[in-house]
This record gives sequence, C-alpha cells and structure tokens, in this order.
Amino acid sequence: MSGDGNMRKISTFRKDNSGQLLIVAALVIALLISSTTVYVYELGKETEVADTQRLDDFFFAIKRATHNAMISSLANVSNGGDSAILTTDLNELAEILRTANQFAVCNLTATPLNDSTYNSGVWLSWNTLGLGVTSAYSDFSLKAYTTETSVESSYAINVTTEIMVSGFYTELNSAEKLVNLTAVIHDETGPALAQNMSIQYENAGEWITVDSSNLSITDYGNSTYSMLFIVSTASGTIPVSAQISDLRNIYVRANTTCPST
Amino acid sequence: MRRENAGQIRILEAFFSALVIFSAFAVSSNIPVSQNASRSSDLASIGLQALMKLDFDGSLGQYIDDRNWTGLREVLGVVLPEGTSFNLTVYNEQMVQLNSVVISNGEFGSQTVTCAQYVCVSQGSAFHSYIVRLCLAMAT
Repeated sequence: MSGDGNMRKISTFRKDNSGQLLIVAALVIALLISSTTVYVYELGKETEVADTQRLDDFFFAIKRATHNAMISSLANVSNGGDSAILTTDLNELAEILRTANQFAVCNLTATPLNDSTYNSGVWLSWNTLGLGVTSAYSDFSLKAYTTETSVESSYAINVTTEIMVSGFYTELNSAEKLVNLTAVIHDETGPALAQNMSIQYENAGEWITVDSSNLSITDYGNSTYSMLFIVSTASGTIPVSAQISDLRNIYVRANTTCPST
Repeated sequence: MRRENAGQIRILEAFFSALVIFSAFAVSSNIPVSQNASRSSDLASIGLQALMKLDFDGSLGQYIDDRNWTGLREVLGVVLPEGTSFNLTVYNEQMVQLNSVVISNGEFGSQTVTCAQYVCVSQGSAFHSYIVRLCLAMAT
C-alpha cells in the first residue's frame, strides 16, 4: 500500500512539473536563439565599420589623385604651359573618377581659385625682388557613395613652390667679381629640395647663364643652397636670377640684385 | 479532454522542435558569410592603403610612366604584408591594359581573392591617369 502510494506521488510530481520543464526548455532555446542573433548582429556591425573604413580609404585615394593632378598641372604651367591646363586636367580627372568602375560612385567637382593673385587656380609670381612663387590652389567638392554608406566632403588643395634669393659680391679685380648667392626653397609643407638649378646674371642688358664649371653649389640639405661664381662685369651691382625645379619638376625663379660687400 | 488532444500536442511539439532546429541552422549559416565579408573588406583596405603609400611621393605614377613593371612588383612585395599574394593590372583611361608582363608574386590557388581599384595620377608634367587594379589573397 505504502509503495503504491509513493509511485502515485512520483507520477503526480512528473505530470505536475512537465509544463514547467517545457517553459524552461523554451526559455533556454529562446536564449540560444537570441544570443546567436546578437552575435550575428555584432558581426554585421563590424562589416559596416569595415565598409566605412574602406570608404574613408577611398576618399583619401581620391584626394591623393587630385593632389597629384595639381602637381602635374603646375609642373606643366610653370614650364611654359597654358594656365587653363589645371582646369582641363581636373575636369578630366573628375570624368575618369565618374566612369571608373570603383568601390564607390564618385562625383568630384573642382573649382580652381580665381582672385587678385590666382588666375584659373594658378599663381606665378617671378618678378618680386628676391622672391619667386609658383602656386596652384583649388577647392574640391566630393560625393562618394556605395549602396551601404556615403561620404560628402569639401576640401582644398594648395601646391606651392617658393624660392628666396639673396646675395652679394666681392671684387676680385677690376674685371672680375665673386658672387655669393643664397637660395632657400620651400613647398607647401615646408623645406624642399631642388633637382635642377640654374643661375643667370645680367651684364650690359644681356642675361648670361653661369657655366657649371664656374658654379660651386653647396647643398646644406635643409632647403638652403649656397652658390659661388665669378662674373665679368663692370657694373656696380649685379642683377642675378636663380631658376630651380623642385623634386616634383615645378619650376620657379627669383631675381635679386647683389650689392658689393 | 487532455488525453484526447495529446496526439495533436505531440505533433505541435515536433513541428516546433523542427522549426527551432531549422531557424538555428538559418541563423548560424549567416555567421561565416559575415566573417568572410569582413576579412575581404580588410584585405581590400590593405591593398588600397599600400597603393596610396606608393603614390604618396608619386612613385607609383613614376613606375607606370616608366613602364617599370619589375620595379613595381618588387616594391609591392615590400609594402604589402608578408604572406599576401597579389596580382596587379594597370589600365589607361580607356581601360586598355598597359602592363605587358604579369605583376604578381605567385598564383592565388584556391584562396578567396579580393580586389581594390585605385585611380593613379602621375606627377609628371604631362597629365596621365591610370586605373590600377590590385587583387589580393591572404595565404591560409
């Protein structure tokens, strides 16, 4: 009798708790599904971050391309090309970026600066005594977008090469003078180096190029160059012109007048 | 009443269990896809940054201007992380392939390949732009 009663109790207990067990099992399964969903969602977010990172990289790549295009155009203009070439090149680049099948659709608009100094984004100032400036400046508006995200940005690019020249001469004898010239070169980021350098001086209204055998150049490695050369002139002051091309092949020149020491 | 419906409840339970199992399969099947997408995006970013690094001082455009494909392959091998397989193709504005030789450090095999495209403008005084396509795969 007693054993039969215990069996009935166990059976009753199992039947009474079967609903609770089902609820616990359902909760566990729901928890598993929820955690899996959250995990997948987090992974999805990481992918989105990666896409944004890639779009940022893409944006910097476009900026680099526009910067290089401006360097190329300024090198062209400063070596005798038409100043309108900057606008032409930037428009061509914008067209290439629009049509190239890239990671994102890209719409670039270039607006070269036009003001009292810049003409079609180019400024060549080679007449100031002792200072020469070759510069290009343009504003850009960039819209880049993918199916997931987009970047819209405005930026400006300035490319400049500048030379400052000063000097004096020492009289060697009645016919010859030793000219000591110092040139300092800068670009838009700071000190810059020259790849080519040419010096001319004026004698009786005629500009004469200083022969390389007569020219001693000391490169201090910090954008400062010291030049020594001998000229044959009777003039009391010596007009000198320093012409350089920087490492990007951007040409600039500056004129100065060297007095006696 | 309960005993009469017990069979139907068992069928519902079986149906529910099957639903749970299939939904678990459906959810978990997305996980490796997301991981692959993330890895692929990372690799594309690495490629783009390597090209930008080369283009910072105009070297990339210079190599292409000079048609120095050997030099370009060597320098890419230096800037890309170790264990990365690459294949670079250079096109002009009309999408005509310029490189006459394969610029690569080996075969990709069965690895997942990710490609990054980069518009390179040469710093030379004549305007030249190139479309550079760099395909990458990470050695497993």
